[in-house]
Amino acid sequence: MKRSFTRIVVALLLLAPLAATGQALEREVKAAFLFKFLSFVEWPQGAFARPDSPIALGVLGADEVLDELLRIVPGRVVQGRPITVRRLYYGEPASGLHLLFVGRAAGSALPGYAEREGLLLVAEQPGALEQGAIINFVSVDGRVRFEVAVDAAERRGLRVSSRMLSVAEYVRGGKP
Amino acid sequence: MRLWQAIRRSVRRKTMAVVLATTLVALLVNAAAMLVYEVGALREAQVADLLTQAEILGRASAPALAFKDNREAAQDLAMLRARADIEHAAFYAADGSLFAVYSAPGASGGPPERAQSAAIDVDADRITLFQPIIEDRETLGTVYLRARSGLRERVVGYLGILGAVMALALAVAWLLSLWLQRAVTRPIQAVAAAAREVFERRDFSVRAEKSTEDEIGVLAEALNRMLADLEREMGERREAEGALKAADRRKDEFLATLAHELRNPLAPIRNALYIMQTARDNPAAEAEARAIIERQLQQMVRLVDDLLDVSRITTGKLALRRERVDLRAVAASALEAIEPLARARGHRLSVELPPEGIIVNADPTRLSQVFLNLLNNAVKFTDPGGRIEFHVAAERGELVARVRDSGVGIPPGMSDEIFEMFAQADRSLERSTMGLGVGLSLARRLVELHGGTIEAKSAGAGRGSEFMVRIPIPGTQAQLPVREAAEPLVSPASAVAQGHRILLADDNQDFANSLAAVLRRMGNEVRVEHDGPAALSAAENFRPDVAFLDIGLPRMNGFDLARRLRALPVTAHSVLVAVTGWGQPADRQLAKEAGFDDYMVKPVEIARIQALLRAT
Repeated sequence: MKRSFTRIVVALLLLAPLAATGQALEREVKAAFLFKFLSFVEWPQGAFARPDSPIALGVLGADEVLDELLRIVPGRVVQGRPITVRRLYYGEPASGLHLLFVGRAAGSALPGYAEREGLLLVAEQPGALEQGAIINFVSVDGRVRFEVAVDAAERRGLRVSSRMLSVAEYVRGGKP
Repeated sequence: MRLWQAIRRSVRRKTMAVVLATTLVALLVNAAAMLVYEVGALREAQVADLLTQAEILGRASAPALAFKDNREAAQDLAMLRARADIEHAAFYAADGSLFAVYSAPGASGGPPERAQSAAIDVDADRITLFQPIIEDRETLGTVYLRARSGLRERVVGYLGILGAVMALALAVAWLLSLWLQRAVTRPIQAVAAAAREVFERRDFSVRAEKSTEDEIGVLAEALNRMLADLEREMGERREAEGALKAADRRKDEFLATLAHELRNPLAPIRNALYIMQTARDNPAAEAEARAIIERQLQQMVRLVDDLLDVSRITTGKLALRRERVDLRAVAASALEAIEPLARARGHRLSVELPPEGIIVNADPTRLSQVFLNLLNNAVKFTDPGGRIEFHVAAERGELVARVRDSGVGIPPGMSDEIFEMFAQADRSLERSTMGLGVGLSLARRLVELHGGTIEAKSAGAGRGSEFMVRIPIPGTQAQLPVREAAEPLVSPASAVAQGHRILLADDNQDFANSLAAVLRRMGNEVRVEHDGPAALSAAENFRPDVAFLDIGLPRMNGFDLARRLRALPVTAHSVLVAVTGWGQPADRQLAKEAGFDDYMVKPVEIARIQALLRAT
């Protein structure tokens, strides 16, 4: 018995880093995807105060992704603009943000940001597109993919590049 | 080396070599330049094309790389199937790891495992490139493409076309050179062949064929003209040589004839002298002997006269002394001179003379000489008992004189030749009728000097001949005082003016003494001297009223003597007559200036002296 327990413990000890690694990868991939989205989205006129105003990213309920973003973003420029990242708390309005990522842990807060003009709302839970998200991370065969609601984006004055749509897992409301 | 020698020797091979070499060099240079340019342009185009392809691929697949969508990326790459030249293609992720791969069916190998920095590698038949995919200054990954360039096949194909073109061009060049040969080389060869033939055979009648109108044609024509000139000149030279030889031969014959003719009268004269010495008591024989001497002497005088005229003709010094004379008188004087001889040979003379009063502008002595020469020939060349016609008339502004005989005639083809100097129709020297062969030549020259023509006609040897003289006589009908055409050659010694004191000065003692004897017989008082000073001193005492002075006197010439005599009171008004062997106009002028009243050329005719003495 003891021996088999020991075996299990050893196995768990061996597997634990593996699980941690899988989670770490998912976190990194999502942070990287969030950053890449900025290249394929056009914000409406007036979303920025000046031509070189930064693109502001907000993260709600996903601290690991936030940390990863904070790690990769500094010094990088997209569409000629620097990028800022800040944490959002429950109930805090998304004023001044251009992209808001709502983590699975804060999924219930998603509808509250749904109709905000010029805000690219990203989620990571099933059915998020129905709750007002424009982009939603999904897992396909253990890989991080995403789906896009073009109609929702259009309603908020955003334009998503068709090149990005070509690699989306599912596109809703867009022209085929 | 042998080929080079063969080319150097022939214009035809030269032109062919030049045409072919030029074409070949031009084609090779052209082909090399085209090949280099084509290969360069092809590579450039292929590289540019592949870069564009990589760019398009990178841009199309940027989202797939950004969002790590291998499937999408692989589908993008799979579209390269449409491009047969691309063997392998791949995307590498930003970290350099292989992301998506495409390999054409049947292509060997595959893309490298790791991305490399941006590079284009072109080798003989493949182009390989790594091209980074950059969006928004973010390096998303790298495209890898490997394509067959097909350069080798292209070059091989290109060389094949060039080879075919070159073969075609060389064939055309060869045909061109053949044409060139026909147009250029062949005419040159023709000219060269003609020139060679002329040199080898010395035949100037060869002509180069002129087949073109270009410079070679000009060359051929120039050669032909030169040959024609040469041929003509050679012909002229040969003719001139022939003429010279003939003239030389005639001169030799003439000398032989001359010696013969001069010798001929001497024998009868000697015989006559013998008769005179031995038959003093026979007046009839003596008279016959004198007649023989006179005839032979006359013959010799005529011979020498002819000789002098020949010398004048050959030196071009024969001149006319034209005056207005009665044509009938001129013809009559010639007739008069020939009548005794014609009678002697028993010829029948048929004469037709113009009426008196036809005045012509001519040299009476020379015109008479022409008639006399023709008549003399007729008499000589007709066997005894022949028939001779002498017709002279003035017809339509022309003097026409015909002398026709029934004599030996003229062989066919000789009717022009007989007028040549020293020509003899019959070259046998045995004939007694033989002359010097100058009579007709002289006659022709004299007629020509009068502006007329003379021609001979004969039905052939032995059938008689006819000579016709035509001399234009414009406006000759005026009646003017007429000078006596010519004195008779010999007049009877009876009509003699007498009682003159005559001085004879001549270093030829025989001439002087014989003339003195004649003058004394005429009843004159004669003094003979043989040199100038003696004649001068004799003149002072002798007081001659007529003096015959030789110009070529020793110690004082005739001109000086005449001046001294004119200076002497006793001879200031005497009649001075120059007697000389030189009948040149300049001499006559000098004689006149020296004070001479008259001028006589040796041999002096007794008749002239008689006439002079009668007038004095």
